[in-house]
Amino acid sequence: MVVCVHFPRFELLLAAGGARALVGRALAIAPPSGSEQRLGEVSGAAEAYGVRRGMALGEALARCPDLALVPADPVGVEESWESLLRSLEAIGAAVESARAGLAYFETGPLCSLHGSDAAVIAAGQRAAGPLQGAAVAADRRASAHARTGAGPTRFCSLAAALAVRSRRPLVLDGSDALRWLSGRPIELLGYRAETEQLLEPLTRLGVRTLGELARLGRSALADRFGAAGVFAHRLACGEDTSLRPRLAQELMEETMSVGDASSGPAIERVLGVLVDRLLARSDRRGRTLRAVTLSARLLAGGGWRERVVFRQPLADRDRISLALSLRLLLLPAPAASLGLSVERFGPPAGEQRALLDEGHAARVARLREAVVQVRTVAGEGAAMRAVCVDPDSRVPERRVVLTPLPG
Amino acid sequence: MLNLPHPARVRAGAGGVPLQVDGRAIELVRESWLVEDRWWTAQPLRRRYWEVVTTSGRNLVVFHDLGAGCEQAGGWFAQRS
Repeated sequence: MVVCVHFPRFELLLAAGGARALVGRALAIAPPSGSEQRLGEVSGAAEAYGVRRGMALGEALARCPDLALVPADPVGVEESWESLLRSLEAIGAAVESARAGLAYFETGPLCSLHGSDAAVIAAGQRAAGPLQGAAVAADRRASAHARTGAGPTRFCSLAAALAVRSRRPLVLDGSDALRWLSGRPIELLGYRAETEQLLEPLTRLGVRTLGELARLGRSALADRFGAAGVFAHRLACGEDTSLRPRLAQELMEETMSVGDASSGPAIERVLGVLVDRLLARSDRRGRTLRAVTLSARLLAGGGWRERVVFRQPLADRDRISLALSLRLLLLPAPAASLGLSVERFGPPAGEQRALLDEGHAARVARLREAVVQVRTVAGEGAAMRAVCVDPDSRVPERRVVLTPLPG
Repeated sequence: MLNLPHPARVRAGAGGVPLQVDGRAIELVRESWLVEDRWWTAQPLRRRYWEVVTTSGRNLVVFHDLGAGCEQAGGWFAQRS
């Protein structure tokens, strides 16, 4: 059995500061600066005016003049969702994260641990708990809870989770699941990337429920919509692909308050410090970095996130800083803090000797070895260098920070 | 971070001018300036800095924290400028 954990309007809840902020208010996540002016998630009150996610800002304001826009908080969303996924993994679940606010796991492997499907679902609900995050109100009565559904496939469990209106889970089993699924609206197909584009043509054709879609026949759908049509028919018939749980990964992150160095060259120096600290971490164990995430909390509220995949795995400070500083130019507003986390590691860095100037390379290698030995003896806080991150700051303690020497 | 402020025992006179820092008498005040920063955030910073010379000839920088609501409010701290 597959369990679906769903937080409706997850991103908006975090951006607006909790469930209470959404009650009766027409809210939407503002379009990100520098991109197409389309809305993010919208509240129920805004939906009542006909405002939808992905709608052009001008059209949305024409439909709902009272629409209030809140800045997106991708950093808060990522932190909160990662914390929730880890809670689910802590009960032993192999979790597939479809997107922030929507996750699946199978109960089968956990039954021997928890006793039964019902016990696994209950454990999952406890682990998901009320939505938590830095921006969410601490009032637990007003906090948002996950909607939980369970069924024989991922799609059935999603349909169940979307149908429930309380904290009690909806569990579908056997032939009942198929019968129940046939009465559900075809809007469920919009939750799957493979069938998302079918929603609009099927609506125009007058297909309203998954049962009606199933009755059209697989060959007719294949003829009209190709592979997407076949897949939609499979979903409507209660079939689905197996889950693809995420790989367990370690979290390695460095963050730093930037103080006055909220933009320009000063923030690039802060970035250099973060790279130094990340490379000096002993739990990196000599591995190269394949993909990292650069994030910032903005002074004006909200956050910013940029995923950077290097062309080749890197462990060289200058090359990493160069690649990241170009992305830093995309920062939409002055930052309050900057973060750098490793998303994927590459293989351990091999020793790359220089063709020329062998003496210099040998000296650098000896120096690095010395730094490693000093850190082994005196701890990770040893062998540091001072870096001027904001030499013109009026607050003396913000001018210089310590950063690890490359070891 | 380097150069973090540390608490100092300061006896101040009229107008908040330091007369004694950690038991050392002040010979003269070289400069004084006010830092008001990050007033747009939840942790505003307000300090009156004094650069002084003790009777033994040592240069010192101390500040009086004028912020409201923080732990350090009202305290005196020494710091390298």
